[in-house]
Formats: sequence, C-alpha cells, structure tokens
Amino acid sequence: MFGWLCTYIPEEILHAAGALPIRITGYSKETELEDGNAYLYINTCSFSRSCLQLGLKGEYDFLDGVVGGSTCDGARRLFDLWRNYIDTPFYHVLTVPRKYTQPAHDLYHSQVKQFKTHLEEFLGIQITDESLYRSIVVYNESRNLLKRLYELRKFDTPPISGTETMEVLNTCFRMPKELFNEWLRSLLDELSIRENSHKSRARLMVVGSVMTNPEFIESIEELGGLVVTDELCTSTRYWSDPVVLDRNITPLEAISQRYLNNFPCARMFPSDERFNRILDLARDFRVDGVISQIVRYCVPYAHDLPLLTERLKGQGIPTLALDVEYGTSGSGQIRTRVQAFLEMLEAKRN
Amino acid sequence: MTVSQGKENKLNSIIRASRIISRMNQASPEARKSNTLYYQMIADYYTRLLEASKEGKFIAAHTVFFPTEILYAMDIVPMHTETTTWMIALFTGHSADMLSAGVELGLASEICTPHRGLAGAFALGVLPRPSVMLWSNLVCDNTAKSGELLMEINHCPGFFIDHPFQRSEDEEKYLVGELRDMIHFLEEQSGRKMDWDRLADIVARMDRQIELFREINELRKAIPTPFNPQGFLQLLTIDYLFPGRPEATKYLETLRDELVERVKAGQGAVSPERFRLMSLFIPPMYLIGFLEKISQEYGAVSVTEPFFTYWGEGALDPAKPLESVVKKSYMLPEMRMYGPLDERALNGIVNCAEQYRVDGAVYYADVGCRHTCATIKLFKDVLDRIDVPVLTLDCDVVDPTITSEEDVRDKLEQFFELLEDRQ
Amino acid sequence: MKALGIDVGSLTTKAVILGNDGILASCIVHSDDEVESSAKTAMEEVLNLAGVSLNNDLYSVSTGVGGKSVSFSYKKKTITTCLARGISYLVPSARTTIDMGAESSTVIRVNERGHIIDWVNHDKCAAGTGVFLQQMAKLMQISTEEMSKLSLQAKSKADISGTCAVFAESEVISHVHRDPPTPKEEIIAGIHFSVVSRIISLCKRIGIERDVAVVGGVALNRGLVKIIEEEMGFGILVPDRPQIVAALGAAVIARENIEKGAK
Repeated sequence: MFGWLCTYIPEEILHAAGALPIRITGYSKETELEDGNAYLYINTCSFSRSCLQLGLKGEYDFLDGVVGGSTCDGARRLFDLWRNYIDTPFYHVLTVPRKYTQPAHDLYHSQVKQFKTHLEEFLGIQITDESLYRSIVVYNESRNLLKRLYELRKFDTPPISGTETMEVLNTCFRMPKELFNEWLRSLLDELSIRENSHKSRARLMVVGSVMTNPEFIESIEELGGLVVTDELCTSTRYWSDPVVLDRNITPLEAISQRYLNNFPCARMFPSDERFNRILDLARDFRVDGVISQIVRYCVPYAHDLPLLTERLKGQGIPTLALDVEYGTSGSGQIRTRVQAFLEMLEAKRN
Repeated sequence: MTVSQGKENKLNSIIRASRIISRMNQASPEARKSNTLYYQMIADYYTRLLEASKEGKFIAAHTVFFPTEILYAMDIVPMHTETTTWMIALFTGHSADMLSAGVELGLASEICTPHRGLAGAFALGVLPRPSVMLWSNLVCDNTAKSGELLMEINHCPGFFIDHPFQRSEDEEKYLVGELRDMIHFLEEQSGRKMDWDRLADIVARMDRQIELFREINELRKAIPTPFNPQGFLQLLTIDYLFPGRPEATKYLETLRDELVERVKAGQGAVSPERFRLMSLFIPPMYLIGFLEKISQEYGAVSVTEPFFTYWGEGALDPAKPLESVVKKSYMLPEMRMYGPLDERALNGIVNCAEQYRVDGAVYYADVGCRHTCATIKLFKDVLDRIDVPVLTLDCDVVDPTITSEEDVRDKLEQFFELLEDRQ
Repeated sequence: MKALGIDVGSLTTKAVILGNDGILASCIVHSDDEVESSAKTAMEEVLNLAGVSLNNDLYSVSTGVGGKSVSFSYKKKTITTCLARGISYLVPSARTTIDMGAESSTVIRVNERGHIIDWVNHDKCAAGTGVFLQQMAKLMQISTEEMSKLSLQAKSKADISGTCAVFAESEVISHVHRDPPTPKEEIIAGIHFSVVSRIISLCKRIGIERDVAVVGGVALNRGLVKIIEEEMGFGILVPDRPQIVAALGAAVIARENIEKGAK
C-alpha cells in the first residue's frame, strides 16, 4: 500500500504496479496537532501538520511507501520531515514543474519515468505498457463516472447534495478503483431514479485548497445553500481530466501529459489557466456565489484569491472568503458568515 | 485596486544613509576599507536605479536568488525587490505604511512581510516602476506567486523562472531552457541583445568571487574569528546585488586581505570572544545594530551561517556561460535549506558547526516565513547530535511589532547563561 | 550572610529567604507601579516573616519582569535560570518543568544540577496562558478557582478550537448559548484541554523527560494539571507554592554566590 499526497502524483503507476494507492489526507476532522505543531511549527499549513500528526502517531505505519511532489511549501516540508522521522520503506519525491511548456512536460515525463523505475526496483517487478493501459482504463472509468455524478448536480434540484458528493470522493481515495467504480455505478443507477429533491436558496461553488470533511459542506447546506460544484484538491481538480490515449505516444507519456495539464493547482503558472477553468465551471453549473475556503496557512491559494475574486466579480459572481483550519466542520463563526452571504445572494436575485 | 497615496522617496534615504556611512568610515582611522567600499557600492546601486527611473531607462525588477548576472550581461538595470524592501526597513526604521498598503491590496497575512511590504511599496509608488517583473520560485511559494500581482500593480509584463526542486541532468537542462526563454523575453522587451562574451566574463568573475567567499569562510574559522558579528549580511548583499561585478571582486579581495591581517594579529571581532555562534536564517533587519551591540557586550559572534555564506562545491566554466549560471544557482548557500533535506543536506549543517567550533546556534524563526520555521525541530535535533544547543527566536524580518529589543535581549541573555554554564 | 531571592512580576512580587537548612520564609505581595517599591515591600515582608532584621547582611539576586531594575540586588538573573534552580531545589527529580505564567508559557529541561539543557517559550499569543484562562473564566462568569473545580467534575469535554484564543472565545460563546446549552464543566474541560494541547506541543519541541513538574500561578488549577497528567500518561509534580519557585531559584543562586565568596 502506497500513500500519495497530491494531484500531481500519477496514481496509475502505483495501480499498474499492483499496489493500492491511498491518498494521504491527515485527519478529516479538526483535531489537536501537538506533534504536528512541534515538528512543523504552528505557522505551517494545517493540512501538512495534520498529515504529519497522523504519521508521527504511527497511523500511517501500514504504508509500504509514500510518494510526494515538490508541489508546495507545505508538502515539501512535510516530506522533508517524513523522510527524517517516519520510517516508511519506500520514499520518493517528484520534481513537478510549474509551467505547461513542452520542456516542462519533458521534465515531468522524465520524473515520472524515474519514479516508475524506482518503484520497479523496490518491488522487484516490471511495470509493462499493458498494465499501464489497463490502469488508465480503470482510472478513466472512475473519472468518467465522477463526471456523470457531477452532471447530475447541474439540475435545478439535483438528486445529490454537495455533502454526499464529498463523501463519495472520500470513498474514492481509500478504495481500490475497481471496487469504487462498481459501487459508483450502482449509486448512479440509484440516483437516476431518485427524486430530484435538493432545493436551495442559492447555488454555490466551494473553491480552495484541500478539504475532506463533508461536515463543512453540510454546515453550508443546512443553511439552505446548495453546493452544486466545487474546485478542490480533493474534488474536481482530482478527477477532472482523463488520460488521453494516442497511438503515437507511450502510455507513460499519456499519463504524464494528463497529470501536468490537469485542472491546475494554484501553484501553476500562469494563474489564468486555473481562473478560466473555475469560470467555466461556474458558468456550466449556473453558480450564484462562490465560497472560497483556504486552509490556514496556505500560501498559493491566498495569493490567488484577490485576482480570482476580481475575475468572478467580472462575471457577476460574489465570493465569500473563509479562512479555516484543515478539517473544520464549520463552527459558529463560519455559519454566521455563510448565512449573511446567502441572504446577500437572495437579495441580489430579487 | 485602490490604495492610499503616499509619496516618500525611500530610495533616497538608502542612498543618503549609505553615502554618509561610507564617508564616515573613510574618515575614521580604525574603520575597515571594505566597509567603505560596501556602502559606496550600495549608494551607487541605488543611485543608478534612481537615475534610470528618472530617465525612463529599462529597469528589470527581480526577486531573490535570481540570476542577476544575466541582467548585467545585457546591460539592464536591475532592482532587487526583497533587498530593497529590507534596506528600506533598515535605513528608515519604519516600513509600516508599505505593509498596510500591502494589506489594502487584499493580501492575506499568509503572505510574509517582505512580500506584503514590497507589493505595498510598488502600489504606493515608493519603488520605481519597473519595465518588467522577473521572478522565480526560489525559495518559496510566496516568491513563486508574487510575480503576477506585481505585474498587475505595475502594469508591466513579466517572466517567471521555474527552478526545479532537485538536481539532475534533466532538471539542469530544463533550467538552462528557462534561462534561454527569459533572455529572449528580455531581448524583445528591452531591445538589447545578450552579450555572450560579457556573460562569459561575468561567469569568470563569479567563479573568482565564489573562491573568495570560500577563502573568507576559511579565515572565519580562526579563533578568535576576525569578521564582525553581523557582517555576514554584507556578504549576502554582495551576491544578491553584485554577482560578477568588478566592484564585488574588489570588495571581497579587500575584505579577505583585512581578515588575513586580523588573523595574523590574533585580532577578534569581539574581545574577549566568549561564544561562537551559528546563525540559522536572518535576524530582523531593524535589530541589526542592536544585535551588534549585544554581540560586543557578551562576546558573542556569528562565525558561520550555513544558509547564507556557506557555498556549495564546484567551479564555473566561462566557456559554458548558461550552464554555469545554472550550476551557480544550485551552489547558492540558500539551496541548502530549500531541499530536499536528506542526510547529505543535514550533514552539511553538522559539518559546518564542527568546522567552525560553534558553542551554540541561534535560529531566527521569522513568523511569516513558514517553510523555514518548519525546520526548527529538524535542525535542532540534527545539531543535538553533536551537542550544540539551539535558541529559537520568534521574530519578523521586517515588522518591528513582533518582537521587541528587550525580548530579544532577554532570550539571548538566557541563552548565553546556558552556554556559560556548559563551558 | 543570608540569601535573598526576589522575583518581580507584572502582577505579583515574590521573595524567598534561604537559610542553611532550607527556606526560612517566603511571601507574595501585589506589585505596584514602581519595581523598586514592590521589591522593597516584598523584601521587608519576607524578612519580617523570617524574623530576620533589616540590618542583616543580605546577598540578593533579583529576577522577573522587573528584576533588572531592583537597585539593591547584587545580581540579576533571567527568570528561566531561576526557575530551573528553584525547581531543582524543591523537586530534585524534576527534569522537565512547565511554567504557566500570566502572559507566557515556558518549558525548561534541566539536568541533575539544576542547569538548563534547553528551554522554549511561547509568548507570541494568548492561547495557553494565564491571561487566556482568566478571560475564559470571565466569559463564563466564574472565578478561576471554580474553573478548576468544575473541570474536575466533567465527564466529557466540549470541542474548543486549540489554535487561537480569538476563535476559542467565540466557540465558548456559542456553546453557552446553544440550545440546550453545553454543561459548564464540559466547556471548561474543553478550554483546559486546548490549553494543555498548546503546552504539550511546546514540550514536544524540546522533548519530555521525567519527572515533569508544573509551576507558576496556573499550576494551582488542579483541573488543568489533571488533564496534563492524562495526556502525558503519568503523574505531574506540583510544588506546594508554585508561584515562588523563581524567587527561590534566585535565592539558591544567591547562596551559591555566597559560598563562592563572590560579592
């Protein structure tokens, strides 16, 4: 079993190697982070601290390997400390470029190749092109199914809430993809006959860094705001783009192209790539308002926020900026602000 | 974006102050010639910048750990944004209006004070408007993300250099490609062409300068150490502002000669030398004078700074200028703490402590600099292996409201008592 | 010569007079605006309690926030050094000491001679300090003594944010106004737990070695100390008069200097 941290880690490689990829998500609830704070210091992002806390407490001892990337400062330091304080047999860090140019793709591809070789050496196996193709098919199926799930949320009264969607995603990170696909297929069948029931005061999109606690979305939806789509490390940014197979390129190239071009994280340059995709989502899902939840102290997303807010304003979409601890379930303060935001959106409509 | 207007020519204050210090130095019989040269160089750098601004010449603003040598080779006037921001903090003692302008722009407190300050400084018009904004991802997300906002504030185009995380042939090749792309960009924007011969000369000089840095480092190993307590900031600035420049070579040679004399005479920077310290990261700018005072009072002197003055191994080849610029970027002392922090990187710190016979280390934990605070425990544990105690000083490099002089004095005093007890 | 230690704090000034066989007397007085007068008042009070006349030869060492301004002390020592010496005197087996003061918390590691190996402070924010607890007590409209008692009665604890005092405050308010309201003792247990979490984080930065002792005004809060014990998994030692430890340490240093023949 191999733990991986963020959307720039090519999961298919692990899957093709016969490993079970498990996403490292720390504690999904807000919790005391005594070790995380002591080792990473209190001003590092709460997501990294949460992951490290779990790791230091031995909760990730079942992992045979851990794979990370140089994606952001929090992740980088998390892996520096992991390497020195947690004894995971296999450890690998990929350099992930911040650009989309051809040289950047070439570099990322060579990094992915190196990762594959390292994994093969560790496991004593060969990861063949056939196994990569098979994994791509499985993962593309997951992505397709999730896309179908999200399509259902485009309705005026979708059959599935934002909270339930988050729960589905959480399941995705912890199960073998084949089983997940089966399960999601039957869920989709169920939903096709479920009544479209979720009404709302406003259609919302939640954007931001990483989040896995459905209770946070629940606290928004309890107030009547329906979360119809989202843009998070753990939601659309994870599954959005499929691997495009092409006879002229190897499956490994196809994988690395997909992962670098995928729905951008705020770390990528230029930021407009991410902003444009968010605006597309907002338009496709007919979003009334955006709630930005940025984990304390996430630098890339904090930097993006002023420019993103402006772009959204240009489309007539207001943004509520929330500053949260990773794992928060939505406390009193947050509810108050969401309430005020919903009232403002309603007033705008009328 | 609306910001309050405030017109204050802070660059002039840097120039004035530097000239005054330089002249005072020259006049004083005891002062070091290298000091005179240093402040003259600072005055010249900012004078050139101010003149370029007045004449509407092409100015390239750039972030820290940037290959400024490329700009010099193209005869483009550089503006080092972070250094300028903390020089303003140092010479004017208050950067509050720049910080609050940064907040007005909508910059969250996630963003460290140097970056908030410099965004605010640009917005206020305190810094000259650059023709282009150049930045890289060294050494943190703050730097990587700062460029686009600065481009908008200044209404100017920009270029981002993506510096790879690790070091391998592929990664070095990628970085060479990035530099080429940037040179194209600069040629288009400025109308100037890259002078490859000049770049080769600059590389040759940089190679010599790095050798001189190493010689100076060796001299600092002497007991007592000859280099003044917070003098490492000068060494830092030399590489930040003047890489490959002839005046930098002159400064380093002069300094080296001074240190050779002092070592021969057994003259220490502080007398008596009671505590040899390793400095991890940068002390607050506004406290530099105060820290010098304390160093003299307690006989404590910083003899080594693994992340700022301890260069990596290797030599530069003028025949391969771009590859050498890339190589140099990996040899920078700061790359030691950028990562990845494997055994080799950590051993480097331990070796440094042993070679310089340090009694203790002071870790300047800048509250806004997240990725450097994340290594407090790690470096503490690493130095614990060789029984070197570490004092952690919470502070902020630019914002004086975070830690007071008294607070720093108390903590340092306590630390010196601890070191004394051990001796 | 008698050894006198004075700790001038922002709220109270403590003095201890040390004889050859032990503590002759100790006292705690309210600090007034003038450091010098607070120190003098404390000195006079403790001499009185010890039955020692003012004319006696006194070697005094001062410490605390106002320690440097005490004119009649021979030596000024930092509070951390004094705490270390003081706790080693009172609890010779202590190797890790947690000082929970009004405005900051400190954790000190000492060796068997009472010399500091390492220490760490947390003074950049309120969470985890005496002032924070006082504020919470005021919010709940109870005294800090009642806080301690109630916390011991709690069967479970409410979730209170550990990170920031400002957030903790709003969470406490929402717990109080909930329908039905969260039981008082559970809220307090939650508050205490978040304070303890801060402290333990601080300890982990320099490592925890037994025995662990707790000093400072907040150490009198038995409810809090119990939670520390639960979290650490072993007993914590609290000296009888935890507020005077620094002053005692100063007196110990004074006596060391007397023995050394220093003046």
